[in-house]
Amino acid sequence: MKTIQELNEKKIPIVRIDKSLEKYKSLPVFQEKLDKANKVLLSVGPPKIKNLK
Amino acid sequence: MMVFEFTSEGPKGNIAKIIKFSETALEGYYNLAFGDQDFESGELDDLAISNNEDSERVLATVISAGFSFTDFYENAWVYATGSTQSRTRLYRMGIAKYIDEAQKDFLIFGLRDGEWEEFEKNFDYTAFVVHRK
Repeated sequence: MKTIQELNEKKIPIVRIDKSLEKYKSLPVFQEKLDKANKVLLSVGPPKIKNLK
Repeated sequence: MMVFEFTSEGPKGNIAKIIKFSETALEGYYNLAFGDQDFESGELDDLAISNNEDSERVLATVISAGFSFTDFYENAWVYATGSTQSRTRLYRMGIAKYIDEAQKDFLIFGLRDGEWEEFEKNFDYTAFVVHRK
């Protein structure tokens, strides 16, 4: 069993799989935001990794 | 592993929040969105103002969901922006506050003047993309 300190030091949270959330996968939730993201990503494209400092 | 649910706890009570990572039109890129869940209608609202006095904890929870998501989809790029300008500014401030720690695990870019650039403090960005190192 993990101690509280060990749990707090973890970056990845403990998640419980909840099948009821599956419904949101196919539902067009936050669609307006997704449409905007698509517009930006398609016009700007991906970042250029070689520009990294 | 694309939808996460958590609860905001504060003076306004318990508010259910949903985080969703959606595939975008750009291959390998996922849009991050989150908002309040209405218990009765089941509808989600990314413009709701909870005022539950835990915005920093909410932001930290969204980031930790990002860790889980990119643990599972390790090649994914995650696109994020606020639903409003002030929220985008809040996210920028949140990233800036923990940038040194965050850059150990993620490549972080901000969109400024129509171009992606490596995230730097004190610049205003309209959107962000992150990728797990």
